[in-house]
This record gives sequence, structure tokens and C-alpha cells, in this order.
Amino acid sequence: MKIDRKIIAILLFCTASVAAIHAGETAPAEAEKAEKDKSLSVSEIVDRTNYTAYYQGADGRADVRMTIIDAGKNKRKRVFTILRYDLPNPKDKGKPKPTTPAEVLKRDRANTGEQKFYVYFRQPADVNKMSFLVHKHLDRDDDRWLYLPGLDLVRRIAGSDKRTSFVGSHFFYEDVSGRNVNLDTHELLDKESNKTYYVLKNTPKDSGSVEFAYFKMWIHRKTFVVVQTSYYDRNGKEYRRFNALAVKKIDGYPTVVKSQMTDLRDGSYTLLEYDDVKYNSGIPEDVFTERYLRNPPMKFLK
Amino acid sequence: MSKGSRLINNSLDRPAVVTWLMIGVAVVIALAAALPSLPADWPVIAQLQPVLRKMHRIRVDTDPENMLSPDEPVRVFHDEMKKTLDLHDMVVIGVVNDENPNGMFNPASLKKVHALTAYAKTLRGAVIGEPEGQGVIVKDIIALSTVDNIEPSSAGVKFSWLMRQPPQTEQEALKIGQNARRVPFLDGTVVSDKPGREGKAVAIYLPLTRKDLSHKIYLRIRKKADELGGPEKFYITGLPVAEDTFGVEMFIQMAISAPAAMLVIFVLMLAFFRKLLLVISPMIVAMVSVILTMGALIIAGFPVHIMSSMIPIFIMPIAVLDSIHIISEFFEKYQLTRDRKKTIRTVMDDLFMPMLYTSLTSAAGFASLALTPIPPVQVFGMFVAMGIMVAWLLTVTFIPAYIMFISPRKLENFGAVHREGRHAHETMLTKFLRWTGSMTYRRAKPILAITMVVLVIAGWGISRINVNDNPVKWFAPSHPIRVADRVLNDHFGGTYMAYLALRVPEKEFRNDQQREQFVKQFASAVSERAETLKGENPAVTRVFEELANSARTLVRKAKIPSEVLKSLAETIERKQGQVGEPSAAPIESGPPALPGGLDVSGEGPTVPTPAKQDQLVKSAWRSAGLFISEQVQDGEIFKRPDVLEYIIQIQNHFKSGGTVGKTNSLADIVRTVRRDFVSGKQEDYRIPASKSAVGQMLVQFQSSHRKDDLWHFATKDYRTTSIWLQLTSGDNRNMSRIVRNLEKFMRQTPPPVPMEVNWFGLTYINIEWQARMVWGMFNAFAGSFLVVFLLMTILFRSALWGLLSMIPLTVTIGAIYGAIGLIGKDYDMPVAVLSSLTLGLAVDFAIHFLARARAMQRKYGSWEKTSGAVFGEPARAIMRNIIVIAAGFLPLLLAPLVPYQTVGALLAIILLTSGVGTLLLLPAMIRLIEKPLFNPKGKTGVTCSCVTCIISAAALFALIMVNLHMYIPLGGNVMWIVAVIVVAVSAVGCRLLSNRQACTHDSAGNREGVSK
Repeated sequence: MKIDRKIIAILLFCTASVAAIHAGETAPAEAEKAEKDKSLSVSEIVDRTNYTAYYQGADGRADVRMTIIDAGKNKRKRVFTILRYDLPNPKDKGKPKPTTPAEVLKRDRANTGEQKFYVYFRQPADVNKMSFLVHKHLDRDDDRWLYLPGLDLVRRIAGSDKRTSFVGSHFFYEDVSGRNVNLDTHELLDKESNKTYYVLKNTPKDSGSVEFAYFKMWIHRKTFVVVQTSYYDRNGKEYRRFNALAVKKIDGYPTVVKSQMTDLRDGSYTLLEYDDVKYNSGIPEDVFTERYLRNPPMKFLK
Repeated sequence: MSKGSRLINNSLDRPAVVTWLMIGVAVVIALAAALPSLPADWPVIAQLQPVLRKMHRIRVDTDPENMLSPDEPVRVFHDEMKKTLDLHDMVVIGVVNDENPNGMFNPASLKKVHALTAYAKTLRGAVIGEPEGQGVIVKDIIALSTVDNIEPSSAGVKFSWLMRQPPQTEQEALKIGQNARRVPFLDGTVVSDKPGREGKAVAIYLPLTRKDLSHKIYLRIRKKADELGGPEKFYITGLPVAEDTFGVEMFIQMAISAPAAMLVIFVLMLAFFRKLLLVISPMIVAMVSVILTMGALIIAGFPVHIMSSMIPIFIMPIAVLDSIHIISEFFEKYQLTRDRKKTIRTVMDDLFMPMLYTSLTSAAGFASLALTPIPPVQVFGMFVAMGIMVAWLLTVTFIPAYIMFISPRKLENFGAVHREGRHAHETMLTKFLRWTGSMTYRRAKPILAITMVVLVIAGWGISRINVNDNPVKWFAPSHPIRVADRVLNDHFGGTYMAYLALRVPEKEFRNDQQREQFVKQFASAVSERAETLKGENPAVTRVFEELANSARTLVRKAKIPSEVLKSLAETIERKQGQVGEPSAAPIESGPPALPGGLDVSGEGPTVPTPAKQDQLVKSAWRSAGLFISEQVQDGEIFKRPDVLEYIIQIQNHFKSGGTVGKTNSLADIVRTVRRDFVSGKQEDYRIPASKSAVGQMLVQFQSSHRKDDLWHFATKDYRTTSIWLQLTSGDNRNMSRIVRNLEKFMRQTPPPVPMEVNWFGLTYINIEWQARMVWGMFNAFAGSFLVVFLLMTILFRSALWGLLSMIPLTVTIGAIYGAIGLIGKDYDMPVAVLSSLTLGLAVDFAIHFLARARAMQRKYGSWEKTSGAVFGEPARAIMRNIIVIAAGFLPLLLAPLVPYQTVGALLAIILLTSGVGTLLLLPAMIRLIEKPLFNPKGKTGVTCSCVTCIISAAALFALIMVNLHMYIPLGGNVMWIVAVIVVAVSAVGCRLLSNRQACTHDSAGNREGVSK
């Protein structure tokens, strides 16, 4: 049951939705009910999961509190705000704007393409005002820029390995921006799947580029929220695990508001807690450019 | 009637009982020691398990760290820092390619390095037969294929694996080498940097969960390296490997050296006595003594350490000593009566006391090692002492019993054979000894004059003694570990690790005043910040006021300022509606539990949303959070640029000379990241100007594949940091010099912040126990000198005789240590241990010589006549003993382990010297002070001679002080006052004692005896 399509990774602020420009529309919830989860193909599951984790809504923002807890139970905190912008689906170019909430949702769900992220650091004090910009591409390396206020320096980060620690936490850059679903083959594990979860096994096509042999995801059937992701080494031993710890429906979108990444080898982990999650705030694409690194768009960060 | 005759009669009358008793005890002890260590699934062993489990198994301890007891502050600190900074002892693998012009940086060589590293990663858990989680610590392996490269490129700063896959082309391979040499942390650590050898070698560092896994890892790596083949050469070293491998080879050594010593002794004895049947008996005594002693050691639960592994080799030659005396005399006298019982009785009459005392003094010499503050040396001393006394008991009981088993028919030729068959040889030894005897009589003064000259030269030599040790040098120079050590230290910054810990602990509140002071400062900082922010956000005033108030309450219970800040940070989080303490999700396998807010249907209970806050109030709390974070970071001392600059100064100081090949520090990390973010050019390799910039550099450093590497260099509060030193030599002497020089440097160049400076790491621990050893051994030597002197005084009932008996060994020890100083041999662990035990052994010859001399003097009247007799049979026995015991230690020279060689060579030399010294010095001395020595008025009983009594009391007092001051620190003045009082009191006491009835009576009796 292998399929060569999408799925995703894990974490960060799971946002979504509708290009509904009018605030107050909670159509997605109703549209949701109409849907049947029965006979979904693996690729559909992968797509929906990817969408739910990274693409809900046309844009999103969240305040994130990161707590890194080492094996000795020492805690370190990082506080940052993250903004997201989904580039319009090229397939929709020239099409008329959707009118009904169901149409809006349908179109949003179909858009799991390129994205832009802006991360603004607040704490600890010495990284206050540090900012980070990512243009995520599906067909090539991402573009990344970093602003270091201490050196008053904007630097491009050359497209390199995405499986490096995100600011010293247990999450990788790839966990934050989403792993390209095309990098893996996906397999639905029928035996392990049950009425609560789809269980997907994802095997990298290029095993030399990653540190895991495969990873499994437990996907909530109703909401497509990834409740757990387990990473296995070449000996089939699980060594790293993501867990969603709390989910909230925000603006109609099921949103993970607390999650954890654990290093099972030493028991150290990182917690992420989301606050002030908003979808479709109308963040302009213009914000996601180099010049905003030095002059953060405070209007959207507040 | 001789002393102990009942003991001997028992053996003569019931030899079978005595023999069976000995065998029985030996078997029981051997079983009790060995059974608990046998595999539990063996048939009989399995049934005995309930009992055996409660008993001690054989434990091996090869860890020089255990030279210090585990609660020694230096070890406690070492362990604490290793834990704090997550550091582990490392095995170092070096791969060298001298044939390729590009050294190691060609596809074929790097492929091997890659393969070897990949293989090393698997060496944990079941693969090496250890429980899960034990073995190589994969995430901390330092190797080309496990570390990150940071590189400025046209496309921006690039973070990537340095060598994720082995390169395909020469160009790629060269690029890897260039990249590695650009990263200061790697250059000289992972890739060789020594001039002319750049890139010729690469290293792999394998941190281990326990250092006693080193040998296992070593063997596997060795095998894998052999599979990979040349032209690259693979070397494995590192202190843990040296220490652990030493332990393994030590056992091989035990199994070779001890039997070899036994064989040599056996052959020599056979040559002397020509009676196989008789010569076997001392061998049995030696073997049983070893079994009983080692058995007792294991049963008592002591580990077999480097020191205690030498117990058999020490006991064996000593155990046969007394037997040689007995057999030697039996050999001389048997033909006179041809009666076994009678001969043994005569022999034992002559020898019982000298044998008891020689054993006691030897035992005392070893037992004095208990005075050293080094646990393995203490155990060694006590058990050898025990073994010697066991050997003595066996000698006086079993040897007579054994002789009774030999039928008179078989002894027919004994002794007689020697008179005829070995006539020529015997005369030679006899002639030689007679000549020596008369020479000492005629040339007494020149002999003593030469001795004085020797002593003066020795004194000069001793002053040049070089205290030094190095566990790697415990291996012979040709041993693979020594070779690896040499090669790798020629290529890299060094393979010996030492760590310098710098700490600036937070000051505790000592009283409420200080608390008030803190709150006052805090409140004023708060209001200052509120002032600047309130224009933008009026809610700040109220929020910051609340902050100051909370601080006032919180400070009351706080011990340190950071506690207050921590609580305030939590308060702020709560105020922002965030959840309090994070709780970890349980780590279980199987399908995950549903997170809060989700159920099967997709809805689930709603997570309570915190009450909507006024946007301004929320923003004000956010400002408060930032403010507190700033306050917390004010305490992060080691992020301060001035402090980092100071660390660089320390590093430069280390570089300025000596054996520090390379250092790594937090400052290097910061400089490297800054360089590559700014331009990649060397001129930007420096500490940024602001503390927050330092913080940002460190966050970038952590955004790598190895986020935790930072925590090997700093603690999370940045109040502790460590500088890694790679030393090219593990000699304690060099480490000591580094420590001293740093102290001097820091006095001249004080740090910007007062900081605690401490060393840790194996190389440093070694100098700590060495320092203890030198003084400990001195104490032990003083202690055993006094004990032996007291025993001698008691034996001879005279302080003068006591002193006389100490002279040959004093000269010997002086000469030997002088020679060690002169030839430049390091004063290391084995040399140190030898000093006090030499004493116990060397005095033996003097005891025999003097005891027999005194007895014969009574018979012959003058020394001139006595001298000739003493240089007859007694001197022959002493000569035989000197040869047997000195030769008995020689097999140690064959050992590939240097400490064993040292012990073997030194003991042989010491025993020869003291033997020769005895036969030359004592008669010469006696010649000069014949009168006072053989004073017919001599009283029996130590307390009867006033002078002897006082000297004995003073020696006893000194002995007590030597022991006591190990445990109670006494001031010098107090000691002197007590000493004067003790001597005065003992003088009065002695006066009274020597005048008492018993003494006058006894001396009268004695005089009668003499006149008779």
C-alpha cells in the first residue's frame, strides 16, 4: 500500500483555513461534518494531514513559548512569535473567488504548496529582536535569512540540511516548516490503524540524507491532527518522538496548542505552547521580505 | 628449651595431623574465594547459589582513580564536573596515512575512517555484551563524519555535516580536509595540525559511558582496523584504554610472573641442596601462603588492584626465606647425628627467634603501608604482612612435619653428598666468605669511610629525585599503546585530556539586609524600565508595580537572587494565561493517548480558554517577561565579552610553552561562529562587543546537528565553564607544571570577575594521588623504620644493637634512592612503594647476622675469633638467601608492564646491596665498637637498660605521632611540647624500671650465664 505522495511532518503552529476574508465565518466546521472519512486513499490521508499540520487558512500567527528540558531537568525558555503566509495556489490563478464557505475550504485544502514564515524572537533577552525568514519551496532548497541584532547583520543561510536543531531545541527546522511529503514513501499500516487513528509508515526515498530509517504517524481520523510521530533508527528502535498534547478548535480549525518532542535516548525534550493563535489575519506577503528582518512588522507581532 | 618448642614438637610428633590441617584450610579458603565467581549455571554451583550469592566475587579494579578514595574532594569534584558538563572518558583512535601526499584526505582513506566511525557507533549494549545504554556515547562521538562544518559561502552561511558520506573524488576529499582545518575546534583535534604532518592523520574520539569498557572497545576497534587494512595505520590510545588494558595484562602477568618466580627459586634451591624431595617443601609453603592470602583478600571483598595483583610475587620469595634457613642448617648438621628429630630441634633452637623477628620486621614493613592515604596500597600492605606471618607459621610447623615424612634412608646421602660432590664449589663460597670476614676485620675503617662517601653521593642523588608517573608509561615502549601514544601525540594537539573549570557561583543572601538591598535595587530597576515604557503603554505602570511587590514577598524565602527571578518569571507566565509547569508526556509504546481537546468524534472537551485580557495589559506583562529575562541573564557571567577575552588570555598562556598542544573553550566557539557569520576571514575571529551578540552566536552554534556540544563547555546558567586541554604528555610532572604556571599567571593577570579555578580530568587526578603517595610513602617509611627499630631493640634487648641492625638497610635504601635520582629514573608508584617494604626485607640479613654473631661471641669470647665462625655457616645461609630471593624477583623483568619490571629490578638490586652491605658493614662496625656491644654487664629486658628504655620510649612515641598526624592535624609546637613531656616522663619511668628487683636479679643470672 505504498504511495508516493504527501504527508508531512509534525509540529508547529497548525493553522489553516479558508481564504475567507470575512471574519466571523465559521463555515469550516459545518463543511467538516458533511465529509465522510471512510474510503480515503493513502494519498488523501497524507494530503489532509499535511494540510492540517501546516496549511490551515491563508495565513496564521501564533505566540510560541518553547521550554527545553534536558536530561538533568534543567529548563531553558525561548519565546517567539511566528507568522505564516501561504502562497496562492497557481492552479487557482484566474479562477473566480470562491463564494460559499465550503468552496473556500475546498480550495484551501487543495493548497499545500509554497509558504513563507517569519519568526520573531523575544526571549531570552539576548536574542530579543533576532528574526528569521524562510521561503519554503517544494522543488528546491528553501531560502533562509537570519537577522542578528547583536552584530546588526542580515545573513543568508545557505540551503543546507534541514534536520538541524531549531534554536537549540529538540525540534528540527524541518519540523517547524514541514517536511516535504514527496521525500518519503507512505504506507498505511492497516493492522495498527483503528477507529481513532490512521497509522502511516513513512520511509525516506534517500536514506542517506536523514538520520532516521522511517517514521510512523498516528493521525486522528476525524481531524487529521498528528497525535504522535515516532522516529526509528536502522535497528528499528524508536529514538525520537513527537506528541500533540493539547488541541483546540480555533476559528474552526483543529489546532495543536501544546506539543512535545522527546529524545528517547536520554529523556530530554522540548515543549511548545501556542498562544494567541489566529488565522486569516490578512498578513501581507510583503512582510516576508528581507527588509522586515531589521524592522519587524510590529502590527502583526503584537 | 627453645621458644615455640611446643609448636615444633607438635609437628614432629604428629606430622600427618599438621599436614592435613594445612591442606584442609587451604582447600576451604580456595573454594570460598573461587566458588562465588564461577558461572552460576554449573551443576553444583547452581545449588550453592543461595549461599554463594552472599559472598564476594572476585573483583578487579584497574582504575588509577581508585588510588584516591571515592570521597576525596578532588574525585568528588571530578565526578561532579563530568556530570555537570556531560563529559566522559574517551578512547582515541588515530588513523595515519604517510604514503599519500594528501595524507588522509583521499577517497580511499576517508572511506575507511567513515566505515570505522560507523562501526564504532554500533559498539554499545548487546553488541559488546553489556546492558542497554552502556558503551560508546553515539551523540558525542567526535569524528569527521559526526561533526558539523560551518562555512561562509557566496550563498550565505552554510551549516552542514562535515563528511556525511565518504567523498567520491580527490577534490571532495581535499575540500573536507580544508574545511576541517578551518574549524578551530577540529584542527589539531580531529585533523592533525603539527607542522609537516598537517592532514596526515585524523582522529576519532569515542566517549564511553564507563571507562572500564575501554579494553572491550579497544579489541573490537583493533580487529575492525585490521579488516580495513593499509596503507593507513590505525592507532588506539587514551588514558582509559591504557588503564583498562593494563588491568587485563596484569592478570596475564600474574599468571606468568608468579609461577616463573617459583620456578627460579626452585631451580636455585635444587642447585644448593641437591635434594628434590626436600626442596619441594618450601615450594609448598610458598604456594599455600599465596592461596591463603589471596583467598582471604577475595573473601574479604577487596578488589584485585594493580597493587594487590603483586601480592603473590612478593609473598613467594619471602615465604621460602625461612625455609632456606632451616634447610640450610639442617643440611649442615644432619650428618652429625643422622637423627631427624634431634637435628630439627637444634636447628629450630638456633633459628626460631631470628625467624620470628625477620618475619615480624618484614610484616611490619609492609603493614606500615597502611599509613599511606592510598586505599589500594593499604590493602596491599596489610595482606602481604598477613601472608608473611602465614608463611612463617607454615614454615615452623609444616617444614618440620614434612622432614619427618622423609624416611631416613632417603636422607642418607643428604649433606654428605654435598661435602664430597660439591667440594670445590663449596670451598669457593666458604673461602670467599672467610676472606670477606677477615677483610672486614682488618679493613674496618676503610669500609666505613667508603660507606660515608657512598652516603654523601646518595644524598645528592636523592635531592635530584624526579617525582613523576604516567599510566601510559606503565607499558613497555614497544607496546602498541605506547606506540600509539607517541605517534598520535606527534600529529595532534595531544591525546591526554585535562579540564580547567572556571566558576562564579551566585552569592547567597547572608541576611535580611542583603535581601532588602537586593529588592531595593530590583525595584528601582523596575521603576526605571516602567518609566521608559509607560509612554507607549500606560498599563506598564501597574504591571511593573505588581512585579516589584511580588519580589518583596518572594525574597523573604529565597536563598539566592536567581530564585526570586525564577519565581517572578513563573508569575508572569501565569499572568499571561499560560500554563504553569510543563509536564512531560509519558514515554510508552503502543498507540498514543488522545491529547487534551480531542476525542474519537473529533470534538472532545474544550480546553479552557483564559479570560480575554486587555491587549495593553498583556503587552505590559510581555515587557515584564523580557525585563526579568534580562535580569536573569545579567548573572550569565561567561557570556560577558570581557570574561571571554580573559579565557582567551588563559588559552594563550597555555599555548606559550610546555606540553599543552591545544585548547578548546567557549570563547573559541563564539569566535568561530562570529567569524563565519561576518566574513569567514581570520580578522573576524574574535569575541563580539556585546553580551547579547555572544548569546546570539551561541544560539546559532546550537542550531546544528549537535546542539548539546555547547553544554560540554558551559552550564546552562553560564556560571561555570570549562577549558579543554589536550596535552601531548600524560606525565604527572608536566601536568603539575601546567597547574603551577596557571596559578602564577592568574596572580599576575587577575580575572575581570573573581572566579573559582579548579582542575579535573584523569591527567589531573593522577597528580593528586601522586602527591599523596609521596608523602604517604614517607610516613609509611618513617613508621616502619621506627617499628623495625623497636622490634630490633626488643630482640637484642639493647638500643645500640637495635641501631646497629638498622645500619645496612639505611645505607642500602639511601644508596638505591640516590642511584634512582642520579640515573634519572622517575620516582613513580612502584618505586615509592618499594621504600618501606625494602626495609622489612633488608633487615632480615642483619637480624640473622647479628643474632648468630652475638650467640657465637658468647662462645668464642672475642670478635676476632667470632668473626671467622660467623662467616662460616651463618654467612653461607645468608648468601644463599640473598641469591634466592634476589633471583626470585628477576622473572618480573620479563613482564611487558613497566611497574613489574621496576619492582623486579629494584628488589633484586636492593636485596643484593643490603645483603652485601650486611656482610661488610656489620662486621666492620662491630670491630670498631666491640666493647660497648659485648659489654658483659649487659642486662636482659628492654626496660632494664635506662638508655635503651628511654630511646625505645622515644621511638614508640614518635611512631604514635607518625600514625596520629595522619588523622589529627597537630601543630609543630604542640608536638614538640608533648615530645619533651613524654621523654621526661619515660626517663623517670625507665630509671625506676631499670633499678627494679627483676633487672638486678636477671642481670646477675645473665652474668652467671656468661661466665659459665
